[in-house]
Amino acid sequence: MTGVIDQIGGMLAQAGYPAPMSVLTLSHYLFVSAAMFTLGMVGFLTRRNLIIMFLCTEMMFQAAGIALIAASRFWLNHTGQSFVIFVLTVAAAEAAMALALVVLLFRKRESLSAEEWAEMKG
Amino acid sequence: MTDLASYAPLAIILLMAITFAVANVVLTLLIGPRRRGKIKGMTYESGMNPIGTARKRFNVRFYLIAMVFLVFDVEIIFLYPWAATFPNLDPSSPDALVWLFRILFFLLTTVVAYLYGFRKGVFRFD
Amino acid sequence: MIERIAWLWPEIILFLATCVVMVLGVSPRLALRRQCAFVSGLALFLAAMVAIATGPMATSPWPQMVPFMKGTAGFVGLLTLLVLAGTVDREVDRDQELGRGFAALRANRAEFYAFFLFSMTGLMLCASADDLIWLFLALELTSLPTYVMVTISTRRSRSQEAGVKYFFLGALGAAIFLYGFSLLYMGTGSTDLGAISTQILAQAEGGAINDIAMAGLVLSLIGVSFKIAAVPMHFYTADVYQGAAASVSAMLAFVPKAAGFIAILLLVSTVGWQWGVADTAGVSLGAGHSLPEPVRLLLWVMAVFTMTVGNVLALLQRSIKRILAYSSIAHSGYMLVGVIAGPQGARFIDNGVAATLFYLLSYGLMNVGAFAVVASMEHKGEEADDLDALRGLCRTRPWLGWTMVICALSLLGFPFTLGFFAKVPLFTSGIAAGEYALVVILGINSAIAAFYYLRLAALPMLEEPVGEAPALTRVPARIVAGVLSAGAALGMVLVAGFFMERAARAAVPGLFDGTHASQSATDQIARSGERRADE
Repeated sequence: MTGVIDQIGGMLAQAGYPAPMSVLTLSHYLFVSAAMFTLGMVGFLTRRNLIIMFLCTEMMFQAAGIALIAASRFWLNHTGQSFVIFVLTVAAAEAAMALALVVLLFRKRESLSAEEWAEMKG
Repeated sequence: MTDLASYAPLAIILLMAITFAVANVVLTLLIGPRRRGKIKGMTYESGMNPIGTARKRFNVRFYLIAMVFLVFDVEIIFLYPWAATFPNLDPSSPDALVWLFRILFFLLTTVVAYLYGFRKGVFRFD
Repeated sequence: MIERIAWLWPEIILFLATCVVMVLGVSPRLALRRQCAFVSGLALFLAAMVAIATGPMATSPWPQMVPFMKGTAGFVGLLTLLVLAGTVDREVDRDQELGRGFAALRANRAEFYAFFLFSMTGLMLCASADDLIWLFLALELTSLPTYVMVTISTRRSRSQEAGVKYFFLGALGAAIFLYGFSLLYMGTGSTDLGAISTQILAQAEGGAINDIAMAGLVLSLIGVSFKIAAVPMHFYTADVYQGAAASVSAMLAFVPKAAGFIAILLLVSTVGWQWGVADTAGVSLGAGHSLPEPVRLLLWVMAVFTMTVGNVLALLQRSIKRILAYSSIAHSGYMLVGVIAGPQGARFIDNGVAATLFYLLSYGLMNVGAFAVVASMEHKGEEADDLDALRGLCRTRPWLGWTMVICALSLLGFPFTLGFFAKVPLFTSGIAAGEYALVVILGINSAIAAFYYLRLAALPMLEEPVGEAPALTRVPARIVAGVLSAGAALGMVLVAGFFMERAARAAVPGLFDGTHASQSATDQIARSGERRADE
């Protein structure tokens, strides 16, 4: 992993720019975001409560947000940061939809388990 | 590791906060008068008498209001970068006007959302 | 920065129409509310015409694909709109006609048409995307409204179940490709597809493609496979298509799929088809004409499993909508063959990307008809979804029956239907690219597909009617849509050459013609450094 980051750092150095961020730091951020992403994925696949499942997808979104911000700082451009603003907007839209669906579901079935919803099979 | 000492004030203030909170609860238990009764055991509703059960369903309009709030809430994020950039533009250039109309168009879309909510009856409480 | 507004007028038209429909649809006056469908149709038509008139978009990795896909989206969207008409609000309208007043909170028309238009806007934005942020927003704009449309399409709890499943898996897919995008940005330092491509080429010349960028590309492709209902993320398809109203399923089979394929073509164009087959990434840049090995392998496995799973599971179904859902999975697998083959030659039949684009157009046209038949039949107030409803349909309801026969045969790829002319280029482009194993698997799968498509065609044509004929829906537009779709499946053959030529032109990548390549990777980095210094 550090080899890859060294490579990017090396390219920046080649272009005459000092490494903008400690090489170690980017890999730390990448590790945190990858861990969050994996936890979210595992949580989504193992938990059966719809709210927890939705929170897991939100966690995966935020993992991407961390990676974007770290990369934005590393490459010294603002693209990643503006990406994060849009990610937050989409996450809010999804939250609104999840809220509506969960309320609908609870009124119908009085339960938030994903297994309550298995009318169709095959 | 060497500059761990600089965190000492933080540790002290944390300790003070925890001590204060715990001490208050413990002291009330130790020296406070004890009276039990129907009124005393009532749910605390900021001084009002509680009505109905806590498990009551909310009117669906509360969720609609929450959604309308979300529209405005998220919109603010986009106004900040715009507001940070706009003053740097040369006011005499046509760019400034274009930028102004861009944000006005963006705000117009919120008005459409508001209009939709209004027609849908989100703001009527009856 | 290049001003892109000039290419975005189709989307602007659609967006303005969305605003109008959203307010019009909650009007207390029934006559005004009924205009929603007309406004939507007019906007779609105008958008498609403007897109075609505007021409290629210079900044896109596929400049000519922009008008082609926007036009396709507009016209297939119009056909879908005919099927979608009358899906929601029938009870609300009847209540008002009986003088019981109008409850705005119960009415769904505004949301339904507005979300349809939003989804179409998202699809067109996908076609004109040249940036990862843009692509992400466009994909989400395509999908988010469809979750709501599925949920409100009928009042049965099945639709709500379908909506919940669709939404949660959709959110997972979005999170995966978003993470892929963020890694792609981390590995290359840009979200602009042209700059990413330049950077990746520079990395390959210097040794190997950055691992982070490669991982990002692979994750993005896996995430986008949700949109096209391809194998790692296909689980929702059958349940969602069955639970939603047939009219909404007709839309789901085309709009997200088209958006997904555009996204895949855009993502894959950043690496290009210029790598040696046997070598790993970066070793033999320019030596071959295939995708880099990790990407090729991923798409290859995806294509094989998608085709096979879709076709085999379709054999086991009794619900027409489920059969069409699994066949929709299989069709995604077919189209992936074209993506793997890539733009090999100037001729249409060698060009895999052109084959994929032409297949998308044909699939969109002929698939609407099959769903329109299901949407037009009613049995005890519900959609007649069982295979038995088709028995003897050619005799009892000839228009619907023959529509089903023609559309099923065309979806199968029966000779001298549109489906045949769409499928053959997939085979030839696969052969041109040397993907012989894949072409054999494609052939076997087409044979498996014959079992259930021939059943769909034989039941109305050869069997005797059982019991009374299914009742017809009170929305004549759906039958019109079905007949138009069947007509396209036969009549388009006569003008197929015209569309094939357009598809072949659309499949010419703009990235490697030297306009983007002039900015080398170091320039890119230097510019970001300058921007830093300016502050």
